Amino acid sequence: MIDFHTHPVLVEEMVIRYPELEKAAREVFFIGNRLQPLETFLLELDISGLQRAVLLPLETTRTRGLPIYSNEQIAELVAMAPERFVGFASVDPLAPDAPDRLERAVADLGLRGLKLSPPSQEFYPGDRAVYPLYERAQALGIPVIIHAGMSWEPRARLVWGHPLHLEPVLADFPHLRIVATHFAWPWSLEVAALALRYPNLYVDTAALYFDNPDDFITDLLVRRVPLTLIEHSLRHQVVFGSNYPRVEIKNMARAVRRVGLSEKTLTMVFEENALRLLGDSER
Amino acid sequence: MIVKLEQITVQSRAGQELVDITPEVERIIAASGVRNGLVNVLTKHTSAGIIVTEGLECLEQDVVDHLERLAPDRPQEYAYYHNRYLDFDGRLGFNAGAHLKSILSGYFACFPIAEGQMVRGGRQRIYFAEYDGPLAREVVVQIIGE
Repeated sequence: MIDFHTHPVLVEEMVIRYPELEKAAREVFFIGNRLQPLETFLLELDISGLQRAVLLPLETTRTRGLPIYSNEQIAELVAMAPERFVGFASVDPLAPDAPDRLERAVADLGLRGLKLSPPSQEFYPGDRAVYPLYERAQALGIPVIIHAGMSWEPRARLVWGHPLHLEPVLADFPHLRIVATHFAWPWSLEVAALALRYPNLYVDTAALYFDNPDDFITDLLVRRVPLTLIEHSLRHQVVFGSNYPRVEIKNMARAVRRVGLSEKTLTMVFEENALRLLGDSER
Repeated sequence: MIVKLEQITVQSRAGQELVDITPEVERIIAASGVRNGLVNVLTKHTSAGIIVTEGLECLEQDVVDHLERLAPDRPQEYAYYHNRYLDFDGRLGFNAGAHLKSILSGYFACFPIAEGQMVRGGRQRIYFAEYDGPLAREVVVQIIGE
C-alpha cells in the first residue's frame, strides 16, 4: 500500500547534510514542526499499514528563491530506504530546458514522476509554454502530479489552483496520467466532473482544511462529492495521499478507511491505482 | 553545589505508548557525580507526559486506555476548538486529545538522590508518555546537589 503524497521537508538527516532545506521548509513550504529522524517517517508508514511513500520535491527557485528539495536530494533520500520510497522530480515548467532536466532526473536519478504546483511555481497548467514538458513526461511514461485546490503556502493564490485550468492538458494529452492533489478542495465537485470526463485524471485524498481528518474526509467524500460517485464511477481514479507532514499519515489513512468505501475500492485507492500510475501494473 | 542538565531523545514507535526511561535517568545520575540532591525529569512537549507508575505491561496498557477514555482523540459528543489552522505551524491542530492527556498526566517527575542513588519505591518506574506518536521526543533531566 502506498501514500502517494508526502513531503520529506522535516527529515533531520537531510537537513544536517543540506541546511538550506530547513529554510525551504520554514519559508517556502511553510511548516513549523520540529525536524524528525527518518525513522519517524518510516514508523508513520508502519503504524498506518503502508509500505511505501511517494516523495515530492518542488522546484521553486524562480518564484521563491530556492527549491523544496532538488531532484538529486530526493534521489539521495530514496537511496536511504529504497524499498520504502518512490522519488518524484520537479522542474520549473516555464524553463526552456525543463523537458531535458526532467528526462535526466528520470534516466540518471531513477525518479518516477513529475511534481508541479501552479500556485507556488506561478503558472497556469494550460499555458502552451508548458506543453513540451507534458510531451516529454508522456513520452517517458511517467505520471504528473499537479497541485490543485487551496494551498497554505503564504504567497500561493487560490486562482492558480483551480482544477479547470487542467482541462486543456487533459484533453490534449490523453495518454498522460495526471494526478490532481487535495481533491482540489474547495473545487472538489469540479475535479470530480473532470475525472468523469477524462479517464487520464486521478485525484488524491490529501485534503484537510478544517476540523480533523475524520470529519473533513467525511464531509468531502460523503457530502460534497457523493460517496457513490467514487464507489461506482471514480474508484479507478482516486489514490490515497496524506500530505505528510502537514497531516500525520496514520490520521489520514484512518479517515479514508472509515469513510464508507467498499473493501475492493479501498484496495484500489490504497494500492492498485497507485501502481497503475507508476506503471507497475497493466490494469 | 552541582547543577547538571542533560537532554535525552526518546523515539516513540506508536500513537500512544509508555516508554520506561528509568535506566537512562539512573545512568545520568551516576555520571553526574552528585551524591545527595534532587533529580527533575521533564518533557519539553505539550502532547506528551512524564508518568510514574508500576512497571507492568498490563498497567501500561490500562494507563493509556484510561487516559484515552478521559481525553479521547476523537470524542463523539463534542468537537475541540483546537481543530483549526495554526499559522505558526503551517498545519491544522487536531491533537487536542493529546494535549489534554498531557495535562492530566503531568509533564515532570522529581526524586531525591541519596548516596548517589535515586530514592524511589521498588515498583516505581519513570515513563515517558507518548500521546501523539510516533515522534522523536526530548526529555530533560536536571540534577541538583552535591
